[in-house]
Amino acid sequence: MHIMEGFLPWQWCLIWWIVALPCLILGIYQLKKVLALDREALPLLGITGGFIFILSSLKLPSVTGSCSHPTGTGLSTISFGPWITAVVCAIVLLFQSLFLAHGGLSVLGANIVSMGIVGPLAGYGVYRLLRNTSVNIYVTVFLVTALADMFTYVTTSLELALAYPAETGGFASSFILFMGIFAVTQIPLAIVEGIVLTLVFKYILMLKPDILIRLKVFSEEKINAARSEC
Amino acid sequence: MAYKYTLELLSGIAIVAFCAMFLYTSATMSGAEFAGSDNVGSGLIAKLSGIPLENFQPLISQWEPPSGEIESCLFALQAAVGGILVGGVFGFWFGQARGRTAE
Repeated sequence: MHIMEGFLPWQWCLIWWIVALPCLILGIYQLKKVLALDREALPLLGITGGFIFILSSLKLPSVTGSCSHPTGTGLSTISFGPWITAVVCAIVLLFQSLFLAHGGLSVLGANIVSMGIVGPLAGYGVYRLLRNTSVNIYVTVFLVTALADMFTYVTTSLELALAYPAETGGFASSFILFMGIFAVTQIPLAIVEGIVLTLVFKYILMLKPDILIRLKVFSEEKINAARSEC
Repeated sequence: MAYKYTLELLSGIAIVAFCAMFLYTSATMSGAEFAGSDNVGSGLIAKLSGIPLENFQPLISQWEPPSGEIESCLFALQAAVGGILVGGVFGFWFGQARGRTAE
């Protein structure tokens, strides 16, 4: 999902930086608040952030004959919300910009918006919608993690289509073309990511249910019900 | 309890299916190079804008890994950082859980 350095006009780089910066500031503020309230949230942040580091480094082949990488943002989104997730993603994307020439400093704002903000926000929307319903916790986690991944790539397509509308068909035509490259490639990856991260969440639930209850990730009743299924 | 290992089973099936899909795609899709979608996307940008790919220059100059091997090494380093975090915390939590059981 990385937009490469130099491939986005400076005006668009600026716009996406302006969108990303307030979200990052809010994320840093929330992170400080969460850690001040409960230091035991730190190991959970380590695990959820760790999966963003791992999964975003894996370039996996897909049905379209090209490779792409999962994002791993779903677990952090469920545990800490989209803004803190944006901060963790910004760290990963900065590392990749500086040391791997994947992305770049000028396009970092655009890449943070897709992977760290819109993807997690889409997942968070689904989480908020399903959190207090009778839908099984594991189904919720699967949907959040898979959709956070998918929407990252939909957003990258949107960012590029806005900057490069096609001569015939304009933005819509360009968006479909970019979706064909980014989003279609991502479908099987998002499904596998969703299943694997749901399994990881099960182990967090088994080992540290108390921190999930304190962070109000799910209600105590739902967490106890899910634990009894394991 | 009947569904105790359902997620483990589903994860295993998903990973095997994913590998099978790759083998099928690479065997049947002629010309599949499995290049990064970022690079394919950059190619489409060049096509849509009419600007040759080599004319896109970084707005902010950046360091590039001098070889594919070093790039792979740095990607592995990134994964290792994540692995250490995940393994360390899960190990810590498993230890705590075992300690509670022993008490």
